[in-house]
Amino acid sequence: MEEDVPLKPEEEGMEKQGTLRVNNLNKHFRSSSQDVKVLDDINLTVQPGEFISIVGQSGCGKTTFLRLVVGLESNYQGEILLDDKRLNGPDLKRGVVFQDHRLLPWLTVEKNVGLGLKNARNEETRRSVQEHIELVGLKGYEKHYPHQLSGGMSQRAAIARALVNRPKILMLDEPLGALDALTRMYMHQELERIWKQEGITMIMVTHDVDEAIFLSDRIVIMSSRPGTIKKIIPVKLARPRDRAGADFLRIKEEVLKEFHLHTETPFSYSI
Amino acid sequence: MRLQTIKNKLLGLVVPILLLVAWDFVTRRELFSAQLLPPPKMLFETWWDMQTSGELALNMKISLLRVAAGFSLGALLGFSTGVAMGTWKTVDNYLGPLFNGMRQVPVVGWLPFLVLWLGIGETFKIAFISLGALVPMALKTYEGIAAVSPSFLEVARVFEFGRFRQLTRIVLPSALPSILVGLRLSLSEAWMLVVGAELVAASAGIGNTMTVARRLFQTDVVLVSVIVIALTGFVMDKLLGQIEGQFLTWRKTFDPR
Amino acid sequence: MNIALQLAGFIRRRYHGVITFLVLIGVWTALTHLRVVSAEQLPAPEVIVTTFLQNLKSGLLGDSLLSSLVRIAKGFCIGCSLGFLLGAAMGVSQTAERLFAPLTNALRQVPIIGWIPLIIVWCGIADLSKIAFIAIGAFFPMVFNTFEGIRSVPRNYLEVARVFQFGRLKLLRKIVVPGALPSIVTGIRLSLGTSWMLVVWSEINTRSDLGIGDMLWSAREGGRMDLVIVCIIVIGVVAFLINELLGHLEAYLQGWKKTYR
Repeated sequence: MEEDVPLKPEEEGMEKQGTLRVNNLNKHFRSSSQDVKVLDDINLTVQPGEFISIVGQSGCGKTTFLRLVVGLESNYQGEILLDDKRLNGPDLKRGVVFQDHRLLPWLTVEKNVGLGLKNARNEETRRSVQEHIELVGLKGYEKHYPHQLSGGMSQRAAIARALVNRPKILMLDEPLGALDALTRMYMHQELERIWKQEGITMIMVTHDVDEAIFLSDRIVIMSSRPGTIKKIIPVKLARPRDRAGADFLRIKEEVLKEFHLHTETPFSYSI
Repeated sequence: MRLQTIKNKLLGLVVPILLLVAWDFVTRRELFSAQLLPPPKMLFETWWDMQTSGELALNMKISLLRVAAGFSLGALLGFSTGVAMGTWKTVDNYLGPLFNGMRQVPVVGWLPFLVLWLGIGETFKIAFISLGALVPMALKTYEGIAAVSPSFLEVARVFEFGRFRQLTRIVLPSALPSILVGLRLSLSEAWMLVVGAELVAASAGIGNTMTVARRLFQTDVVLVSVIVIALTGFVMDKLLGQIEGQFLTWRKTFDPR
Repeated sequence: MNIALQLAGFIRRRYHGVITFLVLIGVWTALTHLRVVSAEQLPAPEVIVTTFLQNLKSGLLGDSLLSSLVRIAKGFCIGCSLGFLLGAAMGVSQTAERLFAPLTNALRQVPIIGWIPLIIVWCGIADLSKIAFIAIGAFFPMVFNTFEGIRSVPRNYLEVARVFQFGRLKLLRKIVVPGALPSIVTGIRLSLGTSWMLVVWSEINTRSDLGIGDMLWSAREGGRMDLVIVCIIVIGVVAFLINELLGHLEAYLQGWKKTYR
């Protein structure tokens, strides 16, 4: 259980713009034969505009946590507040990008991106859709169908679809898990660019440590069974980050230590 | 490669041609009476007669009209039933067992009641055909809706879709392949039942043509009718298949099954 | 004790169907007893039960049913086995497929019922025509499903057979037949279901000999709607049994098939 980062004075005024507070979150999974505690006393505050990664092994509950915040699961103990308001099922203020992009196969990229918009016909929404398609770098593919796109492109379309509704926070559930390693590295840069441009709060679940360090302001390390926050590691490096840099590797060592793993070339300070 | 395709096509013609030759041979030698097995030439002549006298066209038109009416009605009812049972669990729970029970009885079984209540006129025939067309449509629609991927339903929840929007923009498009299969099954069932109904309750129509010819032992007329029925069924199915292809261009890599 | 618990669980889950059924019977009884519908148009439920028991005791129901079933057995066996042979031949041999597929597909376009007048002309109205008709009806689903089943065996597994140098017989035995079996059973189920429907159709069209379809039509002609309903129920129950029994066999094989793929 970790303390969350105290508010900086200049940020207090911005508190209204997408602050996520999770207080004493507990979740059980009950079946006829067992009662498993999936999440144990999660406490977390995410500041507006932050990029948080949740890192953990499979089955530690990080996806459950994300789904609770999105509102796809309910039945929990504790509090989840967005701007001090309790959640009540999913809504457009909390966007989500799934691991399987879930673009509707019978709609074009355009129509998919505009899926959540209430009034998809008028000029304004059409412009917004176009803007976001360009934002994710898919200009020219508006009329394509999902089956005509590669995995990376589909995922980008899914990101555009989530962003076009101007959510306060965006949840990403292992968004790059289904992509090959090379595409993934390219997408890291894209994600960072989009994040910088939109200034939106992002919470990403991943098991890729490099990805987490490259993109996040803070890394939340979850341990499994029951899922609980083990440690929160701030990443105060300048962007864009150098994957081979000394600081990068130091943080990576710190993260991996929590999982009883080590980097291949352990780095140690010598003062 | 093209040579191979041509060879394949030719191979396909071997058996029919052999049969045709054997047929011609047998009838020439009069091994069977012309009543039992009319020679091919006679078949062609009979077809020509039926065509020019307008008899064929008239009867086919009547049968096709019946099919159109019965199929449209049945498919519509079937679709509605399928949607109702697939969308609302309560409907499925209460109506489901009843529907499944009733559909065990082959449509034939309902003939006596339909005849009793509706006579042997057009109403009866169209009701009979609708009944038969209803079942495959309802089943396939239900199946399609039940098979909608939960992943997509979650997308609907995340984007705050209302019930109606979820149905029209996610459930039905996803179920469309299944629904179109249901449509084709429905049509082929309707086409079969038109013939069946006409055999039983004689009045005009291609089935009636066959029954009359049968009683007069006009095997040639019966054979011609059979061929015409087969061709019509084939064409209708092909047309529906084309429409299906148009609607499902997005289906290349997506298969809900 | 366990059975009671299971039964209770079953009822709790499926009670809706029971309720619908009871409501239906209730409405039906009400309609007939309140004379909303005349007795000729819709006999009351109790009458149905009495008629059923009557005919069961007199043996008429049993005999008719037996006749029909015997017909199906003959027609189905012929049609099913021929269909299987052709389907298997076409599945295993590309040449056979190229030779026979066009003709088979063309013949398949004839709606089954369309064959009736032709068969009557060629085979008369005695048992032979009914059996021939059923055989044709059973033939086509079997051809198609057997062919499909064999062709759907994944290429990967065929390659395994090549790598292990399976002989032709071993290949069929260990890989093709198990792989195609679920489809074949589906074919049998469809064939049998169609046969049952066709026996009724053929009996209605050729009114000779005993049979459940014949009984149905005679009842109608005699205005005995109660008997008609009894026949309908019997027809429905048999159809249900066919589907259920073979359906379970199919599901059992499919379950294994999912991991096979």
